[in-house]
Amino acid sequence: MWILDSAYRGGVDLWVRDGAVTKIRHDYDPPFYLYLPDPHPHHDMIGTLESEYHAGECTFTTIFGELSGYRVFAGRSVAEAIEQQTNYEAQLFNVDVRIDQRFMAEHGIFPCGAEHESRFSPDISYNLRRFEISIRGNPSLSAAFTDIDVTHERCERLHGRERNVLADLFSLVTACDPDVILMPDADTWMPKLQKQARAHGLEMPFSRTGKYRRMDARSYWSYGRVEHKESALIPDGRILIDTEKSFVYREGGLAGVLMAARLSGLPPNLTSRFTPGTLISSYEVYEAVRRGIVVPFRKSDAEKVRRFAELRAADRGGMMFQPAPGIYGDVDEIDFTSLYPSIIVQANLSPETIEHPERQGFLPAVLDPLLGLRIRTKQLKKSDPRYAGIDSILKWMLVTCFGYTGYKNAKFGRIEVHEGITGRSRDILMRTKDIAEAMGFCVLHGIVDCLWVQGSPIEALKAHIEQTTRLLTEIEHFDWIVFLPQNDGSGAYNRYYGRLSDGSVKVRGIAARRHDTPEYIRAMQRDMLTVMASTATIADVGKAKDLVKAIYRHAVQNLPYAHAQDLAINRRISRLTYTHRCIEGAAVKEYQKRGVAVAPGAKISYVVRDARKYAIDPAWSAGSFDVRYYRELLDKAWGEISYAFMSEKPSLNCVGRDNRSINTIH
Amino acid sequence: MRIELSKGITLQSGTFNAVIAPEKVIVAAINSHADLQRFLFLFVCGNYSRLLSGINRTSGNFEIRRAFTAHQLFTIVKEASHTIVFVEHDPTMFDGAEKMIIPVSGALKDVGREALVILYTPSMDRPFSALMRSADRVFQITAPDGSMDRPQRSARSYRIGGPLPPAQTTLEVS
Repeated sequence: MWILDSAYRGGVDLWVRDGAVTKIRHDYDPPFYLYLPDPHPHHDMIGTLESEYHAGECTFTTIFGELSGYRVFAGRSVAEAIEQQTNYEAQLFNVDVRIDQRFMAEHGIFPCGAEHESRFSPDISYNLRRFEISIRGNPSLSAAFTDIDVTHERCERLHGRERNVLADLFSLVTACDPDVILMPDADTWMPKLQKQARAHGLEMPFSRTGKYRRMDARSYWSYGRVEHKESALIPDGRILIDTEKSFVYREGGLAGVLMAARLSGLPPNLTSRFTPGTLISSYEVYEAVRRGIVVPFRKSDAEKVRRFAELRAADRGGMMFQPAPGIYGDVDEIDFTSLYPSIIVQANLSPETIEHPERQGFLPAVLDPLLGLRIRTKQLKKSDPRYAGIDSILKWMLVTCFGYTGYKNAKFGRIEVHEGITGRSRDILMRTKDIAEAMGFCVLHGIVDCLWVQGSPIEALKAHIEQTTRLLTEIEHFDWIVFLPQNDGSGAYNRYYGRLSDGSVKVRGIAARRHDTPEYIRAMQRDMLTVMASTATIADVGKAKDLVKAIYRHAVQNLPYAHAQDLAINRRISRLTYTHRCIEGAAVKEYQKRGVAVAPGAKISYVVRDARKYAIDPAWSAGSFDVRYYRELLDKAWGEISYAFMSEKPSLNCVGRDNRSINTIH
Repeated sequence: MRIELSKGITLQSGTFNAVIAPEKVIVAAINSHADLQRFLFLFVCGNYSRLLSGINRTSGNFEIRRAFTAHQLFTIVKEASHTIVFVEHDPTMFDGAEKMIIPVSGALKDVGREALVILYTPSMDRPFSALMRSADRVFQITAPDGSMDRPQRSARSYRIGGPLPPAQTTLEVS
């Protein structure tokens, strides 16, 4: 039974692909669970629940242990009424678990996998019919569908009057009956498509039942910035992926979306639209239900009382060693594989093991197979790039599993676990540094789970670290690496670039890597790095200076003649009103003036026409640009590269670098 | 037991007080009262405290509990058995949990029947104004220059246009 899609509409609908795709309906009306520390004052309420909602006494298991309470066959509104009536004394469980996910977890089945397959196998067998739709035009502006490219068994272009184009598109979809539709900006186009289809009296055939589920738009916080998720129309029985906006698809491709579905027990339509954080949280929920553990409705178990000094000692985040800026030759980067989840598993860190460390913790138990799968896919992708997408999704899920231990909405998180992880990671990085230095290596830089060292033999160091820490590491060798300075001249923690031993260049934090860098400037820096990538030693880097500088001069000379679109700045906006005049605020205003709806977290693309007057144009209509403004950006990007030549005298030893500071990050 | 918050403004036990004041006034009040060392003091805050780094307290009587959700805040306040309970207001706790404002406000009032409860914010916002309705006394203190602190940023205010705190820049995986 290969489950393609699932939904709850009074019963659980599973869309199963077995040659053809069929819908199987299961009657399923699960209860939620209620625990009252003192049930006696609430006997009237319990009586009503028994008579109205078939409540009955039962015992159930939380991660902290067994509780005696009640099962209640009712929905969220009744659960919320119980909370209020008991003045929030009642503890409720399994109230907000998705019912189709819960059904599958309880029955030991999962999406996107055959019955004999393991959820934790890196191999996904699927034979899905794909159909790609690319609508020409700007999805924020266009309302007409007169030019559409489609790819199924062949490529076709549908062009002409809107009604004919839509009728042709719908006929093709009906005839091909695809399982997966891939469409850039699908979530923006779909409501417009639906509207226009209705206007022309056409039936939109993307859903296998004709019905669509709606996900609401929302803005939310993710790692300190506002993100925006558009509303979505989700078809029944067919996977529709917004290839432009889906983070999971972008990182992991279709295999990544399907793997996320298999692990989390959610249909691919949802996993392609969720963040890695939601995926890891959903995975934990699926695992809890599968293991017969109930999922708390509210996060009410607060941090225990702390003394001031104790809190200051515990809450210090990850460890960093500040690098001395400069260029260094023959550097190895030692990177711990999935350090934080490995610590959770190794140290048995879970909310319930804070008070009872002797117990097997829930979090380590559920993360262990995921970690094992990641280690396998990381190994496999080295020889088979087909595993790269799955590996990427697993990497992101495991990265966020740490953050979720301290996240307010995490079902199985607690801040003490978060602190326990970072505390151990600090010890590990310090120990690793001590081992390296004791073996005669020079430690140049360190950040949370990575250490940059000079010395040899690196394999011996790797073996010693792995033996001591019982954690896996990966080594990347740089022929040379440039650590850039901060404004105050001290070393930046996360801005560097260098040539790896395979001849490729690894960059972090510079213009070529930043999402908001205009393409013209990105291309200039990329060209420079390509030239530098051909130099295997610091001395050769110095020799490439003239060639690299020529690229800069060429970019400066041609800047006035560049296409305005190549100077578009792509930004994710954090707000709609700005107290001070600024370029970003002007861009938001311009979007609004042109009738384009924007929300915090949404991406905008603009070209600066006159920076002094805060005059900007949306990228799609830009014709001219402020040369002086872009010259400044160009010079800044050049500065990041030219620093390699300014500091081409290598800093080869660590002796005398005692001013290197040690810091922690949050 | 009394605390002089500012000249002429004294808070006493058995009351629930809502205080709107610049951070430095509150930090100075907490740091300067030697008397406070003698009493069991509970400092409650959210994920990002604006005061904690400025507080210079080594007393074993000074305890901290952090709440990330309104439900956790409710639990903490209900469990508090300290002489002084100081709550640094964090409006983000009530995002999507507006129903918890009345229960939390009631719990603060209950604890304030015996303890000295201080609900503090540097600037007024909608959840605070609802929480302070059950307070016995409300104080608004302005800085000597007449200014107030910048409004506290809530997730809601970010959505409607507040500035962002610095984004985490270290989450870059390879």
